[in-house]
Amino acid sequence: VTDPAALAFMRRLREGLDSGLELPEALTRGAAALPREARDTVQRVLDRMEGDHDEDEWGFDEGFADLVEPFFGFLYDRWWRVKVEGAQRVPAHGRALLASNHAGILPWDATMIGLALLREHPLPRHPRFLALNWAFDLPWVSVFIRKVGGVVASPYNALRLLEQDQLVAVFPEGVKGTGKPFSERYRLQRFGRGGFVEIALRAGAPIVPVAVVGSEEIYPKLGDIPPLARAIGAPFFPVTPTFPWLGPLGVVPLPSKWRIEFCDPIATAHLGPEAANDRGLVLELSDQVRDVVQETVLRNLVQRGPAFI
Amino acid sequence: VAGRRVLITGVGSYLGTLLAARLESEPGFDAVVGLDTRRPREALAGTQVIHADIRDPAIGTLIARAEVDTVVHNSIVRQPGPGMSARAMHDINVMGSLQLLSACGQSPSIEAIVIRGSAGIYGAEPHAPQFFGEEMTRMFPLRTRFQRDVAEIETYFENYSRRHPEVTCTMLRYQPAIGPSLATQITRYLSQPACPTYLGFDPRIQLVHEEDALDSLVAAIRRPVRGAVNVAASGTIGLARMIRMARRPLLPIAGPLFGPITGAGRRLGLDAYSDDFRRLLRYGRGVDVARLERELGHRPRYTTAEALESWVAA
Repeated sequence: VTDPAALAFMRRLREGLDSGLELPEALTRGAAALPREARDTVQRVLDRMEGDHDEDEWGFDEGFADLVEPFFGFLYDRWWRVKVEGAQRVPAHGRALLASNHAGILPWDATMIGLALLREHPLPRHPRFLALNWAFDLPWVSVFIRKVGGVVASPYNALRLLEQDQLVAVFPEGVKGTGKPFSERYRLQRFGRGGFVEIALRAGAPIVPVAVVGSEEIYPKLGDIPPLARAIGAPFFPVTPTFPWLGPLGVVPLPSKWRIEFCDPIATAHLGPEAANDRGLVLELSDQVRDVVQETVLRNLVQRGPAFI
Repeated sequence: VAGRRVLITGVGSYLGTLLAARLESEPGFDAVVGLDTRRPREALAGTQVIHADIRDPAIGTLIARAEVDTVVHNSIVRQPGPGMSARAMHDINVMGSLQLLSACGQSPSIEAIVIRGSAGIYGAEPHAPQFFGEEMTRMFPLRTRFQRDVAEIETYFENYSRRHPEVTCTMLRYQPAIGPSLATQITRYLSQPACPTYLGFDPRIQLVHEEDALDSLVAAIRRPVRGAVNVAASGTIGLARMIRMARRPLLPIAGPLFGPITGAGRRLGLDAYSDDFRRLLRYGRGVDVARLERELGHRPRYTTAEALESWVAA
């Protein structure tokens, strides 16, 4: 795992940021330490961040997503050693809603679910995902998330994407999942009021429960500093063994071992769009999805064994 | 069958003159009446032009005498032009619309009112859905003066519509227009030596081509529907790509410095940026045009990128 090039890259990135450079510049400088191929990739990524290429109406840029794939691929293969089960259960065509457990402060789990489908599915496609609204206030982060398929977590966005027959990943735990302390890992939080079920019913999209194991160890959240969170407008300010102590390096996630399992889809089309107004049914379906995810998470947790080795 | 009789306010604007000329030549229209303090952009043979200010209470009798069945309100000012203060803009927009509606109330012949409003009412918000539907006006606080003005106009209009159920009231919410013949805030922005952007932001922008802007207006006159309809090109485009297409360099400025720097530019004689425009440059805005296509029957001919191209090519 300790790739000397990667370490040199991180060191230079760190130096660049410390000496007051903007992120793109610091990235360019850090990239000088990488092998030629990787250097090209970084350069092309930076070019694309500046515009001048095609994006769809959502701002999703397939070329950009392909460009950053090697980076996520590295995380997938070597950092987190992701094992995938049941990718073929995700519908190959048409609309579907992926509902997953959520942890780890930054949406790494969304990117890994996407990559799992691209790698393991017989007919791969890029899923779109609903990202925490707060991320869209941030410079660069907002652009990056959008380019790889993220959209503001608004039910209108989810519905429109499904009506365009896209694959949409949602995290019904929302910020409660990302912000929970390490001691509560793998205990699923409440699934809100079941808004994701309403959307699936309205669009007649099947719901695919997804269980992710490993994401809950990448940033063990030991504490929270609410005044700092308020100061920067974030939902929480995490304290982990590495953050904020190591500065930007504290953002590097820990190399836990991951498993992702896609469960059997739950059909909703036969219930009709009117069913979305039936509170009882919505909550019942929402609980059903939550139970499946929780059960699958625990089963995979046992199968995975130790978290890091 | 008697043809339609249409009154157009703001006939001296580019789109107003074009609309009058278009209605003159189309079948089914008996009379076109224009109302403005300015002269039409070109000679209009078949249009009766009334020289009056819509803020003047006298338009009540003028409109009643013209015996029109349709009123097109086309004199909402989107940005203060040269020599117009923000206050005058507010006055024309809010007081003018109020006066016009009260004048319409005195004319029993009126069957339909079409307002060329603004999608600015939705604002430009980081947490907004990517495409605003017509029902989503109250999702975020009204942050700028222009937004509050547009909201006020819409409120008057809704009240009027409720009190006069026999009149079909259509509120068209326009995204910023672009095209070879238009000079707007967007075209002035893209014509500068360099285009200031917010560092680290690349918002989705949606425009409407001038031809689609005109055709949507004609479609709304021909087939009036009740309530609000978004008018925009299909699709959005990233701001950075837009500036590239206009062959201008980007000038990224960190958020807190954007106001002071563009403010200094203004003192040097560059274009002033309204609050709305600044928010648009930071967060962008998209609207859903399903209702325009389905109910007004107008499918935009230009995408946002094509609309921009037609301006760049001119």
